Amino acid sequence: MPVMITRAKKWLSDRFAAGPIYRNALHRKVAKGEWYFGDGATLTLLLVVLIVTGALMTLTYSPNADTAYESVRYLTYRQTLGWFIRGLHYWSAGMMVVMLFFHVFRQILLGGYKAPREGTWLIGVFLFFAVIFMSFSGYLLRWDDRAIHALRVATHMFYNIPWIGEHLVVFIQGGREIGSLTLTRLYGLHVVMVPGLILALVGYHLYLIIHHGTTSRSERAQPVRSADDQRALYKKDAESEKNGEIFYPETVAKSGVMAFLFFGLVLALTLIYGPAEIQQEANLHQTSQPMEEWWFWWYSALIALLPDVIAPGFVVVFPVVIFFAMVLLPFLDRGPYRGMKKRPWAVGFVVCAVIAILSLSSLRTQSPWTGWPLDEAPPVPEGIALSAGAEEGRLLFSRYGCNSCHSVSGHGRRVAVDISRIEGQMSREELFNYIRRPPKDVPMPSFDHMPEEHLERVVDYVLAAQTFPRES
Amino acid sequence: MLAINAGGFVVAGVLAIPGMITAIAPGFIGRRREMWMPVAPLKNFPPGETTRAFVDIERGDWSQSLRTQLIYVRREPGDRVVVFSRNCTDLSCPITWDPGSRTFLCPCHGGIFGRDGVPMAGPPNRPLYRYDNRVREDGMLEVDVYSVPPMS
Repeated sequence: MPVMITRAKKWLSDRFAAGPIYRNALHRKVAKGEWYFGDGATLTLLLVVLIVTGALMTLTYSPNADTAYESVRYLTYRQTLGWFIRGLHYWSAGMMVVMLFFHVFRQILLGGYKAPREGTWLIGVFLFFAVIFMSFSGYLLRWDDRAIHALRVATHMFYNIPWIGEHLVVFIQGGREIGSLTLTRLYGLHVVMVPGLILALVGYHLYLIIHHGTTSRSERAQPVRSADDQRALYKKDAESEKNGEIFYPETVAKSGVMAFLFFGLVLALTLIYGPAEIQQEANLHQTSQPMEEWWFWWYSALIALLPDVIAPGFVVVFPVVIFFAMVLLPFLDRGPYRGMKKRPWAVGFVVCAVIAILSLSSLRTQSPWTGWPLDEAPPVPEGIALSAGAEEGRLLFSRYGCNSCHSVSGHGRRVAVDISRIEGQMSREELFNYIRRPPKDVPMPSFDHMPEEHLERVVDYVLAAQTFPRES
Repeated sequence: MLAINAGGFVVAGVLAIPGMITAIAPGFIGRRREMWMPVAPLKNFPPGETTRAFVDIERGDWSQSLRTQLIYVRREPGDRVVVFSRNCTDLSCPITWDPGSRTFLCPCHGGIFGRDGVPMAGPPNRPLYRYDNRVREDGMLEVDVYSVPPMS
């Protein structure tokens, strides 16, 4: 019996030519990687999960503007385990963006783009933009409120490209208006074309990683002046007892742990939170407060904080600058050092970028720059009794939309100054005139349409608010 | 060898050129310069006020959704009518009209516009897009839905 099995194995290996794959890709000597080098393996595993769950969803999804939304609802609420497949797809997509940034930042810290790995990096740059496109186009296919307004925002970014902007918008939409063709185009790109491109590029990326290896310990420890230097060093590391290992199973075991941990996280998020919420169906006539998916929060906050002089150009220039900076990086950073010890600029850049991304994301959850109508008048702080006039003013404060921008004792919107902490003493008359006709340089509408009596009551309230506790 | 390479380029061209043309084509089919669509009788809009209104879009494709577009009609006291697009000029987010403060507020990045559509705060640096409008003899207000950019 064992002879039969041995012979069968030998036959299979010979006829399917498994030997060269085993020798050249699996059982080969490589430089020792650290456990956190598993981000590449994580990305690969997430890609597999995304392809499988995505393919399963095409069995239900209907790429027609009239029925797409209902098909997503059917998949989520009626099809057995449909929510699970959608959930895995959603959280894998978000996690992939996170890991993608991790991967890029790690290569910047490592100098992983240096000779002879420029090709690996350049293919990675295209993969980066392809994955960002996928992480955006995916949630457009939901065809809900978030989708339609995200689509408008994206097309407006193209509109800002000089000369050809308007033509590009028409090209993307498949017509002068968003319509049937817009969705079929997005579907074709998200489901067929870009995944095909990603698979091809990932294949080549992995081939180059097998060919050039990952940055070894000696490469980080000593200056490397040329591609030949690197090859000699790498070979020495791969074959040494201390700095080398066998790719399969040793490297795979280490990076696999990280990949499985992140898959576990995706699974946990799916089971706890389920797939992304489905909002009202895409339309162009209902009031909406749309918000992008969480992996774009930092970018949205960044746009909100820009002054109006550069904001419209920024959305065009920023991605272009990032693209060229990434493409040129291996040719600009030609120093002999790799790793963090002698490359403080790389460490500084990554630390600043991570802090910026996290703090901008957190700011977006509060969106202190957004004014929006609020139905409720600000509450009266505990232990404070308002005069009849001030109480009437409090209600008028809401009726005239003052609370669309102003908070009172920390309650409400934060676009404009909190009414309980107006700087400098203003007299009743000064307040009255300020509200009626604000100074030209203040971004506040004039309230000259308010009857004088109403204005008096609001002033009563604003004056009363000066005695409110400042923190709530 | 040269012939084989040239053959490859010919095949690539036969696929790529018509491929690109057909991908671009839908943007040009049935394209008109203007499209006047009715909104509502002018008498429905009180003078001096800004009112929500809707206009239907004719698309000529196979799905029926997204045919209704929200717009804001401002009728000045002297019968002059201004019709605003409901899309912010920063990144086309859907603005809302706040009748209390008489401002247009954008939900995304902090854009605020005055009742005349002029930006007051936030990233936008262009006034709200205005639809070309006219009043028919029977008093119906019409707008040209092609008079604003294609994503608004």
